[in-house]
Amino acid sequence: MDLDKIGLYLGCLIPTEQYAYELALREVLPEFGLELVDIEGPACCGAPLRHINLSLTMYLSARNIALFEKEGLDILAPCPYCHQALSEAKDIMKKNPALKEKVNTYLKEEGLEYRGTNEHFHLLDLLHDEIGIEKIKESIKEPLEGLNIAAHYGCHLIRPNDIPRPDHSEDPQKLETLLKAIGAKSEYYNEKLDCCGAHIFINDQESALTKTGQKLEAVQKHGFDGMTTMCPWGQRMFDAKQDSAGQTVGASLSLPVIYYIQLLGLAMGKEQEKLGLHLNKSPVDKLGSKEED
Amino acid sequence: MARIGVFICHCGTNIGGVVDVDELVKFSSKLDDVVHADDYKYMCSDPGGKVIKDAIEEHDLNRIVVTSCSPRMHEPTFQSVIEDAGLNRFCLEMANVREHCSWVHKDEKEEATKKAKDLVAMAVRKAKTLEALTSFQKDVVHDALVIGAGIAGIQAALDMAETGKKVYLVEREPSIGGRMAQLDKTFPTLDCSSCILTPKMMDVARHPNIELLTYSEVAEVDGSVGDFKVKVKRKPTYVDWEKCNGCGECAQVCRMKERVSDEFNEGLGKRSAIYVPFQQAVPLKYTIDPSKCLMLLSGKCGDSPPCQDVCELGAIDYQQEEKIIELNVGSIVVATGYDMLDASDMYEYSYSRSPDIITNLEFERLISSSGPTSGHVHRLSDGEEVKSVSFILCAGSRDKDHKEYCCRIGCMSALKQAYLLRDHMGEDLEINICYTDIRSFGKGYEEFYRRIRDGRSNFIRGRPSEIDVDEDGKLIYNIFDTTTQKLLEVRSDLIVLVPPLVPRNDSGELSRILRITEGADGFFLESHPKLKPSDTTTDGIFIAGCCQGPKDIPDVVAQASGAAAKAMGIISREELESDPMIAWADPDMCVGCGVCVDVCPYSARELNEVMGIAEVDAILCTGCGGCIASCPSNACIHKNMTKQQILRMIDEVI
Amino acid sequence: MSIVDLTSMAEPEGEAQKKVNEIIKGLKEDIPNDCYQCGKCTSGCEAFILTELEPHKVMALSKSGFIDELLNSSEIWTCVTCLKCKERCPQDLAPVDVIFAVKNIAVVSGKQIDSGYSNMLQAVLGTGFIQSPKEVVDRENNAVTREGLGLTPMKGPEEIAKLQQVLMKAAMETLR
Ligand SMILES: Cc1cc2nc3c(=O)[nH]c(=O)nc-3n(C[C@H](O)[C@H](O)[C@H](O)COP(=O)(O)OP(=O)(O)OC[C@H]3O[C@@H](n4cnc5c(N)ncnc54)[C@H](O)[C@@H]3O)c2cc1C
Ligand code: SF4
Ligand code: SF4
Ligand code: SF4
Ligand code: SF4
Repeated sequence: MDLDKIGLYLGCLIPTEQYAYELALREVLPEFGLELVDIEGPACCGAPLRHINLSLTMYLSARNIALFEKEGLDILAPCPYCHQALSEAKDIMKKNPALKEKVNTYLKEEGLEYRGTNEHFHLLDLLHDEIGIEKIKESIKEPLEGLNIAAHYGCHLIRPNDIPRPDHSEDPQKLETLLKAIGAKSEYYNEKLDCCGAHIFINDQESALTKTGQKLEAVQKHGFDGMTTMCPWGQRMFDAKQDSAGQTVGASLSLPVIYYIQLLGLAMGKEQEKLGLHLNKSPVDKLGSKEED
Repeated sequence: MARIGVFICHCGTNIGGVVDVDELVKFSSKLDDVVHADDYKYMCSDPGGKVIKDAIEEHDLNRIVVTSCSPRMHEPTFQSVIEDAGLNRFCLEMANVREHCSWVHKDEKEEATKKAKDLVAMAVRKAKTLEALTSFQKDVVHDALVIGAGIAGIQAALDMAETGKKVYLVEREPSIGGRMAQLDKTFPTLDCSSCILTPKMMDVARHPNIELLTYSEVAEVDGSVGDFKVKVKRKPTYVDWEKCNGCGECAQVCRMKERVSDEFNEGLGKRSAIYVPFQQAVPLKYTIDPSKCLMLLSGKCGDSPPCQDVCELGAIDYQQEEKIIELNVGSIVVATGYDMLDASDMYEYSYSRSPDIITNLEFERLISSSGPTSGHVHRLSDGEEVKSVSFILCAGSRDKDHKEYCCRIGCMSALKQAYLLRDHMGEDLEINICYTDIRSFGKGYEEFYRRIRDGRSNFIRGRPSEIDVDEDGKLIYNIFDTTTQKLLEVRSDLIVLVPPLVPRNDSGELSRILRITEGADGFFLESHPKLKPSDTTTDGIFIAGCCQGPKDIPDVVAQASGAAAKAMGIISREELESDPMIAWADPDMCVGCGVCVDVCPYSARELNEVMGIAEVDAILCTGCGGCIASCPSNACIHKNMTKQQILRMIDEVI
Repeated sequence: MSIVDLTSMAEPEGEAQKKVNEIIKGLKEDIPNDCYQCGKCTSGCEAFILTELEPHKVMALSKSGFIDELLNSSEIWTCVTCLKCKERCPQDLAPVDVIFAVKNIAVVSGKQIDSGYSNMLQAVLGTGFIQSPKEVVDRENNAVTREGLGLTPMKGPEEIAKLQQVLMKAAMETLR
């Protein structure tokens, strides 16, 4: 890995409520010799504003990239929603230099310039491609043997394939590979690529929770011991809103849902509290007991 | 002294409607050395030709410029006109004002007229120094080569052989027959495919004028139209075909029996390491698959190889080696057919997740009475009964992520297969045909479609987004039917994907060997999409069948006969006129470095050791220009397209 | 226009259609006219089963110019942005983005939108983020805060007024 430090761009959801993700990231990644750098000034990536005004999305994404670019930093965007917005902005400006100029006239007012010279990663490609499976395997002290964990990638992490995404849009495998690296097993399930419903929660809670509930029910029925995510939106739905989702679809759900980075931390022998495990609402303790079996 | 005549064609309104022709005539007549300029509505017509001929006589013209369409279209026409009037045919220069100007600048008439003037001025400048060239005759080889022995190649070979010409038919597989041999029945008349194909295969085998080279591939092609030198690589079959009588005892005892995936059955069946692709194979001779034979792989097969033990004729020969056969032919027909798109590329359709999701070509083997299940259709995963079958049309065709074109046979193949299923399995079977548009454009096709629309099969107008495999192994998909506006959930035991036909995976390499062009879709490119559907951009080489693009058997056969007729047009001549627009090496400039000798793809350059210079073999040179671009001493010149001529044309406009 | 929808007497609106197409072209995508109505998008639409959003119909209406019908439909607000339609469209089209474009136009033309969206916009304009750090509860129902967990305070935009100003301007422009 050439990277020894990287700018951490958390977006909106992680630093305002998905604290477990942030705790675990800050706890685990430095173990691989990677310094996470916080910088002054980032704002929303703009993705949630797409519904209202696509220009805002464009501006905000470009602005965030420019901020890190100014510091000479590559970016780690652990939220797929953010990561995709950054990728899309970058892609469009690359294909349309005139637009890039236009965006820059606005950025100038904030004393910034977008050039597009830095890279951005999601946790998935950072772990799988940069840090690498070998290093991860070496770091494992307590492999999670005996666990069968469902992989939830999240729509924006893999789609759409016309802009660079961290994994294959229809047959992503990196998360499974990462699960295997920490000793767990991850079977294929038909609903793997399905949506969590998070993005209509804002205006149609019932539909959103139905999506969440249906996917959880399918995973539970398949016999998985738990589900892992790399997305704060998905985690929020599957973990924090699991009870309401269960009520909405009329199912009794009791599925441990856990960030992959938390699982990795556990396998590395980290303290639960430092990984924010107490913040997960779903019955993550079940994972431990299952493991012992 | 050049006395130039300029003739400007209106091409109806194609040029006349955009360019100010009167103005152009005026402009041309003032150019240096132009003694006459005139215009006419259709210069390529007989009266148009007369305008030119009369003017040549009246004004004693010796160089002619025609301002009209692309020389690809009418250069030969105008060459004949001026030849009739007593001029050398190479004293003609054309300015392409239609394609290069009036068609592309329809809305900018004034600018277009300006550009037309430039084009004419350039042509006139070049015409001044045009050399009168003489072509000469070269002998034609009267034999022909056909590459690929599917129905296209078989048809072309038979057509030519029937006229008495010798035809070499090269086929890569151990047997001829191609894809058609894999089909069960054929739409729209439902003839049994082998019943109509096998007699033709036998005709090929028996024909005294056809020399069949199976298990062989073309490795090298040199020379040009009328005289191609071809090297054919004959792969070792490890069986002496002179001795083998096709009894098949060897395959019965082979230690790899039932252990090798059978390509003829699209991997649905198994064969031995020594095999014939299918029972009606022509020739009916056995071949050892070197990638599977234990003896060939490790030099050991049990105590002693059973095939060798059982063959009373002593035909097995593990020492056989590859042979290179050299052929000399006047013309070549390429008929290498198609492959199918790998259906596992469409991840959302789970092809690699369930053996019960198959392609339409696999289905042909499944329903065929000579297939691996003797025509019994059952679930491939567990052998259970099939109660519901779904066909998914346009799976990867008309799809920008895979193949943008229409596969042209998919709809009809599905309708046919639905018919066969109903026929085999009776009324209780559910058949779902998921389509976007049913394309049944051929003769008798719409009538066939009408027959299937009998209420016994479900036509669902829509396309699934994904196919899933249930815990019990059943296939399940959602499909929005755009006619009833309902989202349907369908559970099927068998799903037949209809993927596009794609170019053979080695077609790129073959196109390089033959120096023919591939289109954007990867199929071999015809020289004109309407008027020259079986010509290629290389003279003397023709294409037929699915190697030019997906098509059904009637179209394949028609094109094959067309290509055969075209090839005959060449090999039945005694001599061909060679094109004198070729390379020439100026002996005063050439230093004998030999760069051109290495560059020339047609072996037309040779070093004259005595004189220390390079020479051009006028018969072999095709005028490709390779040597001219590479000659470091500027000694190589393209006749009537010299550097000076080109530079002067450029001078004219800048 | 010589075309009239006799069920509603609506006529295709060329201007509105152009606006949709401009946004789509800005995203470097093909406009809905390429859609051949195979219905693959709707077959897999994650919203359709719940809310009857028919992406193929969105495409049909926009290529025929019946934009007003789309602007007034509540379904366009139910897209879950799963992106499956865009991913799998055989013509490389993006119903999801056409839906975004229509929603953007609806906002500009003053259609009533869900308060969730306006609140979110206000939050971004005011703080740079869609929400501020929240107090959450752990599995034992104890309240926890960012600070309480030992996480450093968020470093948002320094000059929020400046950002707000630029955002207001950018929103008026087509940065596409
Ligand atoms: C599922 C399915 C069902 C069909 N059903 C029908 C039907 O009912 N009716 C109908 O009209 N059409 C049907 N078709 C279409 C039909 O298969 C084709 O039109 C026809 O077989 C094409 O013949 P061809 O000779 O062009 O190609 P092929 O049959 O592919 O023959 C090409 C031959 O060239 C050989 N070859 C390839 N490369 C080389 C090389 N480099 N050197 C030497 N030899 C080479 C191959 O081995 C092969 O023998 C169907 C197609 C499919 C996929
Ligand atoms: S022939 Fe039918 S199945 Fe094949 S691409 Fe055309 S429309 Fe689709
Ligand atoms: S132009 Fe030159 S390189 Fe081309 S065929 Fe003739 S001699 Fe060979
Ligand atoms: S998948 Fe694409 S082509 Fe098919 S209906 Fe939807 S938008 Fe149109
Ligand atoms: S992105 Fe929206 S319209 Fe497209 S399939 Fe998903 S929910 Fe449906």
